[in-house]
Amino acid sequence: MVQFSHLTKQYKKQKVVDDFSLTVDVPIFGFLGQNGAGKTTVMKMIVGLLAPSEGTITIDGLASASLEAKKKIGYMPETPYFYERMTGLEFLKFCDELYDNREPAPHHYEVLLQKVGIFAARNSAIYTYSKGMRQRLGFASALVNDPEYLFLDEPLDGLDPIGRREMKEVMLALKHEGRKIFLNTHILADVEEICDEVGVIHAGKLLYAGSVKAFCAGHPLEERFMGAVAAHERNNAMHAVPVAAASN
Amino acid sequence: MKNILAIARNTFKLEIRDRILVGILIFALGYMALTLFLADLVLKELPMVESFGLTGIYFFNAIVALFLGTTSFFKDVDRKVVYFILSKPVSRAQFLLGKFFGLCLVLLLTSAVLGMAYVSVVAYEGGGFSGLGLLAIAMQFLEMALFLAFAMFVSTFSSSLLSIVYTSVIFFLGHIVSSLVIDAKTIGLGGVKLFFVEVLYYIFPNLEKFDIRNIAVHAVAEPFASFALALAYAAIYIILLLSAAVWIFEKKEI
Repeated sequence: MVQFSHLTKQYKKQKVVDDFSLTVDVPIFGFLGQNGAGKTTVMKMIVGLLAPSEGTITIDGLASASLEAKKKIGYMPETPYFYERMTGLEFLKFCDELYDNREPAPHHYEVLLQKVGIFAARNSAIYTYSKGMRQRLGFASALVNDPEYLFLDEPLDGLDPIGRREMKEVMLALKHEGRKIFLNTHILADVEEICDEVGVIHAGKLLYAGSVKAFCAGHPLEERFMGAVAAHERNNAMHAVPVAAASN
Repeated sequence: MKNILAIARNTFKLEIRDRILVGILIFALGYMALTLFLADLVLKELPMVESFGLTGIYFFNAIVALFLGTTSFFKDVDRKVVYFILSKPVSRAQFLLGKFFGLCLVLLLTSAVLGMAYVSVVAYEGGGFSGLGLLAIAMQFLEMALFLAFAMFVSTFSSSLLSIVYTSVIFFLGHIVSSLVIDAKTIGLGGVKLFFVEVLYYIFPNLEKFDIRNIAVHAVAEPFASFALALAYAAIYIILLLSAAVWIFEKKEI
């Protein structure tokens, strides 16, 4: 279970994540928001790349940025970067070496690379990989320690339609293995297709968290999402009017 | 510890594949071969050959240390490769130390390769095996490790280009700081000016402590005591610099 409690991230006076509280305990949770809504910031705080200004994040009761918690998770950043002169296979092995007391199964890396569809390029230097292949390698790197929790930041970006289909199938297979996936995306169709629950974030505020079905209430997800964002904007504008008037 | 070793090993493997590093090493080996011709110019005087050789190793290792120290760590952070590493059970201190030891291994390799070339050149010119020559190379390695730690420390808060500038300035100051104090006293500097020079002396590393090239070439004294002193000096400085680097890096938002 992933728990966020009053999570806030502030840069100078600007709050990019604002008093965010949420409990996630479903197989696939989609974190939905426009570009710049705060999704990546939340994910970076989960894995300890950024420190929260206020609040806490726990994974099964452990502080998410602790080394203990990190043993349970896999993370794929938005636009993954690698050591370009390494091969895909070398990079996976290096990632796995960073975990203590792991005895990877025979052909563990080869199986992973097959799963994400870049086995044929396993011995090629990463600088020769296409954007889609890099996404796939990033996905494999997140899976290298057989994590209980996966945090994927825009994992389907840069993939062609076939690649997207394959990755979604991999995610659904992981769900059936009992792993939990926290997925950042701004692509509504993906959320509708594979997520059990969604969280809608806008301007650092959590607008909704719950099942996709309840959120849609018989309407298309896109319409409901746009409606939630517009309602939040209207609400903000209404609160801003008296302040603006007072300053005049 | 396992993580530090894994990162060090990986850093070493990556850096030795770097074409720039390989280019510097080839150039350095070319220079070592050139000392054979330089030897002819100085009528095959062995101390001159040894001096050319040791200075060459020093010069090229300094370039390697500057290049590695200011780019390797910075690139990992700037290009966000650290996202994969630090999201695994790896602390920032382990990552930084792993990088440092990996880069030290590269320096050790370049020192060993150039050291072998030096021994070969000296042997070709009729010289014997020189323990002092090897000690001078070891001292140079210590200086470069310190230089590397400084470059990595600077890389935690500045860009690669600025790190090159800062590190080069420190390299220069480190070599003149001890003579600055002596010169200041000789010319009768006092008051605030002398205090300023003394502050510089205590803040910046005294890199002259590691220079025993002349002693090695002319075999004028037994420098083992100075080697032990330099070892302790380098260790303390490196620990301080890396501690400061870890402190800054742990606060850095990446």
